[in-house]
Amino acid sequence: MVRVRLRVFTCCEGGKHCGIIVAGREYTITDHVTDHLAGAGRVKRPGLAVRRRADDRILTGLAAGIAGVLEIDPVFVRAAFVTLSLAGGVGVLAYVAGWVLTLDDPDPKAVAALQEKVAVRGTRRRVALGMIFLGLLLLLKSLGLWFGDSLVWPTAMASFGFALTWSLIDQTRRSQWTRRAFPVGEANKGGSAARIIVGGVLMTAGLGLYLQSINAVGLVGGVVLAVVVTVFGFVLVFGPWMWRLINQLADERRERIRLDERAEVAAHLHDSVLQTLALMQRTDDPRRMAMLARQQERELRSWLYGNEQLTAGESLRQALEALAWRVEDVHQVPVDVVTAGDLPLNDPLRALVGAAGEAITNAARHSGGGLVSVFAEVEGPNVDVYVSDQGIGFELDSVPEDRRGIAESIIGRMQRQGGSAIVNSQPGEGTEVHLSVRQP
Amino acid sequence: MIKVFLVDDHQLFLSGVKAELNASFELVGVASDVDDAIEDIRSIRPDVVLIDVHMPGGGGLAVVTAVHETDPEMKFLALSVSDAAEDVIAMIRAGARGYVTKSIQPDELAAAIRRVNDGDAVFSPRLAGFVLDAFAEVVPAPIDPELDQLTPREKEVLRQIARGYSYKQVARRLSISIKTVESHVSAVLRKLQLSSRYELTRWATDRRIV
Repeated sequence: MVRVRLRVFTCCEGGKHCGIIVAGREYTITDHVTDHLAGAGRVKRPGLAVRRRADDRILTGLAAGIAGVLEIDPVFVRAAFVTLSLAGGVGVLAYVAGWVLTLDDPDPKAVAALQEKVAVRGTRRRVALGMIFLGLLLLLKSLGLWFGDSLVWPTAMASFGFALTWSLIDQTRRSQWTRRAFPVGEANKGGSAARIIVGGVLMTAGLGLYLQSINAVGLVGGVVLAVVVTVFGFVLVFGPWMWRLINQLADERRERIRLDERAEVAAHLHDSVLQTLALMQRTDDPRRMAMLARQQERELRSWLYGNEQLTAGESLRQALEALAWRVEDVHQVPVDVVTAGDLPLNDPLRALVGAAGEAITNAARHSGGGLVSVFAEVEGPNVDVYVSDQGIGFELDSVPEDRRGIAESIIGRMQRQGGSAIVNSQPGEGTEVHLSVRQP
Repeated sequence: MIKVFLVDDHQLFLSGVKAELNASFELVGVASDVDDAIEDIRSIRPDVVLIDVHMPGGGGLAVVTAVHETDPEMKFLALSVSDAAEDVIAMIRAGARGYVTKSIQPDELAAAIRRVNDGDAVFSPRLAGFVLDAFAEVVPAPIDPELDQLTPREKEVLRQIARGYSYKQVARRLSISIKTVESHVSAVLRKLQLSSRYELTRWATDRRIV
């Protein structure tokens, strides 16, 4: 049997209750809880209900402990201490006194569980506590414990403004920031505590100097010095933290972009390359296999090096490449497109592309050559397209009826746009169709 | 027999090319990363180096640049899956004597190696297209007219190559000798390597499309 005075106690392990002890009443509690209490020395020395929180602290965790009891966000308590420090140093004294009178909380998790609940209620409580605090300030002012209106009120407003903003930021993001800025296992814990103290002293000194210089009008140098000292202190306290925070956030952003890109690449490869590879494994025809490989190569290339601003068919080069792709697909003959210069499509160029399409299809169907070469060149106002194959060729005079029709449709198309089409062919030498238009 | 050295970090491709070339060339060495390649090429001193453009550690560009510091005469033929203009132009300007894509037919590759070994340049239709494109704009005041512009005859030869004709066919079509075609192409290669035309660099970076 152990007799203790505590308001509530909830055990941490696995979130289960090991025992509840309410002040003034005796309960039989499990050994587990007894161990807890004995280990922390609570039984020997009851003291205040406030425990300094090791898991949530700027200096000693006192503010967080007080906040836990008041069931408000610790940042408000910190703001109160800051403001009170300027009211005749009451805040500093109160803090030191609080530190002396309280103990470290041995069991932060239990309090953390309590803290969860705190966030939910609170508006009314916060307003009430705010009123009490305001009253306290006015009381201190009337007692003369005051560093001056121009110092206390702005500080109060600034610190509570910050506290309000901070308390509105959702919990996960807040802990994310804090974790980023003060990574766990950081070696220089002592260093950062020293930094905060030095920075705080400098800031206070700066403000003190500033106040003095206000009294001694005309001392511009004093004001400058005060500002410099204050800023230096501020940088010392918050600089590394902010720097690290910014860095970390940028890192995270970069990482996310990288992951997104990776996912996009993976998705694309899956949709295109892997599908084609699967298709190729199911094909016995080597010709078909080669064509599949070629199509995939073309598609992958346009994805890797293509520019997305011009959508397919917007420029001469793209129209020709799309055309070549189509013919390859239908006739299973490779078509190589080489271009020098490029232009956006207009009516004459559309006719040119259409005629080139006829010529390429012709070559793919009838020439028997392994490859159709397309070369397009833009030079000044002249646009020339050559469609060549190294196939069987033909006597221009002895063209079979069906082919002549196509040849004439090519020529007719070009002439209507004021261009020309010349067909060169000899048996065994392949065929070349030269199309040209002049741009207005 | 021509001594050929292979540099490629893709084992599959390496073994394929080895098999293709074994009959007609003497394969004197293989390297699959930049540092090994530089060291071995310097000590073995092959006739022609077939080099992949994209490799970890600086790629083919690093090898060509480093070897040319000690052996300015070493002949490189760049071989790549990339048809990107900036890759092509960068390799040629670093000193490669030609550029072919990996989809090239085995007999064409053999012909290209021989041509490079003879001191000539190897222009694929695509490379010819790039060069015509890069030299297309008329410069109002060329810094060096010799280097910054192509002659009409050179342009004509390049156009024929871009249309898919072999050097032999080009020679016949233009009624000139193959030697003349080769000398035109070599002249173009020299201009491509030495020209200070700022458009050349700008063009290669602007134009990321094949």
